[in-house]
Amino acid sequence: MRRRAVITGIGVIAPGAAATEDFWRACLAGQATVASIPAHWRQYADYSSTIWAPLPKLDFSALGIGRVEQMQLDVSAMLALCATRQAIDNAQLAYILKNEKKNTFVIPGLNSRRAAVYCGSGIGGLTSLIFNQANHSITPLADALQRIKALAGEGDSAQKELRELCEAAQETVRMPARFNPFIVSMTMPNAVSANIGIKYSLNGPNTTFCCACAAGTVAIGQALRAIQSEEVDCALCGGVEYLGDEFGGIFRGFDIAKTLALPGCDPQEANRPFDKKRTGFLFAEGGAAMLVLEELEHALQREAPIIAELTAFAETFDGHNIMMIDPQAAEIRRMLHNLVQQADLDFSDIDYINAHGTGTALNDEIEAQLIDDLFGKKPLVNATKSLIGHTIGAGGAIETAVTALSIACKTTHACHNLNDPVRDLNFVREVGEFPIRKAITQSFAFGGHNAALVLEEYS
Amino acid sequence: MELSGPDAVILEKMDKVIREVLKPGAAPITLDKRFKEDLGADSLDSVALIMALEEEFKTSISEEQARSFTSVGGVYDFIKARLVAAKAS
Repeated sequence: MRRRAVITGIGVIAPGAAATEDFWRACLAGQATVASIPAHWRQYADYSSTIWAPLPKLDFSALGIGRVEQMQLDVSAMLALCATRQAIDNAQLAYILKNEKKNTFVIPGLNSRRAAVYCGSGIGGLTSLIFNQANHSITPLADALQRIKALAGEGDSAQKELRELCEAAQETVRMPARFNPFIVSMTMPNAVSANIGIKYSLNGPNTTFCCACAAGTVAIGQALRAIQSEEVDCALCGGVEYLGDEFGGIFRGFDIAKTLALPGCDPQEANRPFDKKRTGFLFAEGGAAMLVLEELEHALQREAPIIAELTAFAETFDGHNIMMIDPQAAEIRRMLHNLVQQADLDFSDIDYINAHGTGTALNDEIEAQLIDDLFGKKPLVNATKSLIGHTIGAGGAIETAVTALSIACKTTHACHNLNDPVRDLNFVREVGEFPIRKAITQSFAFGGHNAALVLEEYS
Repeated sequence: MELSGPDAVILEKMDKVIREVLKPGAAPITLDKRFKEDLGADSLDSVALIMALEEEFKTSISEEQARSFTSVGGVYDFIKARLVAAKAS
C-alpha cells in the first residue's frame, strides 16, 4: 500500500495579509487587495493597467530575519523563510538555535536527512538583479549627469533649461548605493529552497521548481511523490514569488503582453475571474505559501495536527505555445484523468475545485468549459486570484493552502466580482457551510505546464 | 580605552554592527581586536560587515579600502576621518 501524506502546517503571506489567519479571514470576508501601482513606475512608461495587489508592509526583523540576512537575501527568499516559519509553528514542530551568527536552527525529532525542501518560483531573485544591474549600468550616466548639471551653471535660459533637464533625468535614476557583493546568491532561483534548507539544517532533497504559475503546485506534488516513494518522511514545500522590482519592468512585461486587468471605471471591480466582463489578471507584488507535508505515521507518532490529506498529483505539458493555453486543453484533460485515477476517485466524487481562474479571456473560458465537461455542475468552484491577484510561482501553493483550509474549515471563499459567469457552474457566490471532503486545485502556466493536486479530508 | 563625545558615538555604533554581524560573544570589542584572528570573521563575514558599516554610517567604502582593514582600530580611524571630512565640507 502506498504511503500516505498529510498537511500538518500552513504558512501564507499574500497581498493584504502577513499571516495565514489574517489571509484566511480576509478570504472569507471577501476582502480583496487592489491599489494603484507605485507612482514612480510611471516615470518609465505608460501602462494599460495601472493597478496591482501589494503585499502588506513586512517587518522582516520582527519575523526573525536578521540584519545580515536582509542584506544578503532577495525578498523572495525572505518571504519563503517567513512562510516556512509560520508553517513550522502551525505544525507544532519545535526549532532550536544551532548557530547564532548564521541565525540557523535544527528541528529536534526530525531526521534531517529524510526531510526535503521543494519550493516553486517563477523568477527567483530576479528583482535584486534588476536593481543591482541599475547600479552597474547607470552609475557612469548618473555621474555624467551630475557633471553636466555643474557645468550648466546658473546662467542664461539655455543653461537653466539644461540644468532642469539634468534634474529631471536624475529623478529617474534609482539604484542601490553599492553593487551588492551577494548578488549571485540573491538572484539564483534555487536560493529560495536552499535558504530554507540552510535555515533549518535539512539535508534531504532540496529543489526549486521554475515553471511559472504552476511552480508551487509542482513543488507540492513532487513532495508528495518523495514521501510516497519512501525517499523522505517530511517535506517543507510550497511556492514563492516577488515581482515588485524598483522600476516596474516586470509589471510592464505582463502589461505589454496584454495579460493584465484594465482598471476601467472602478479599479476595485477590475479583477473578475470567470466573469464575462473580465479583462485580464491582477498583478500581485508577491506572496508565499509553505506547507509541512508529512508521511502519515510520522505525523501520528508526534501527534501533529492534521489539516488535510494530499492524495494525488499529476502534471502534463501542452507542447503548444509559450504564452497561450492550448484551446483544445487536451493535455489538461489527460492530466485530470490521471489525477482522479491516482486518487482512486471519479470526477463525480469531487466536491470543490480551486480553479486556476486568472481572469484572462481565453484561460477562464477554457477552464470553465473543461470543468463543465469533466466535473459537471456539482463541485463548488472558486478562484483565489479574484481576491489577491496572480502571485505567479506562489499562486499554486497559496491555492493549495486555501483548498486545505476549505476542507478543514468546511467552508470556502466566494468568487470576488463574479456577477455574470462565463458558464453555468457551481461558482461560490456566498460563503456558507460546505461539506468539502474531496477537492482539486489546478494550475496552468506560461510555457505550457499543467499541474493539479487532490486533497481530501483526513480520516 | 576611555572615549567621550563623537568618538564614543562612533565606537558605540561600531560595537553594535560588529556584534550583529560577527556574533563574537560577550567579550568587549576593543580597537586592537583583529577581525579574522580575534573575532572569527571569514571572507563573507568581512563583506557583510563592510555593507553593514556603510549602512550604519551612511558612507561608502571602496573594495580596496575594505581589503586594507584588519582590525577594529583601522575601521575606526577610517570612519572618524570620513565623518570629520564630511563635517568640514
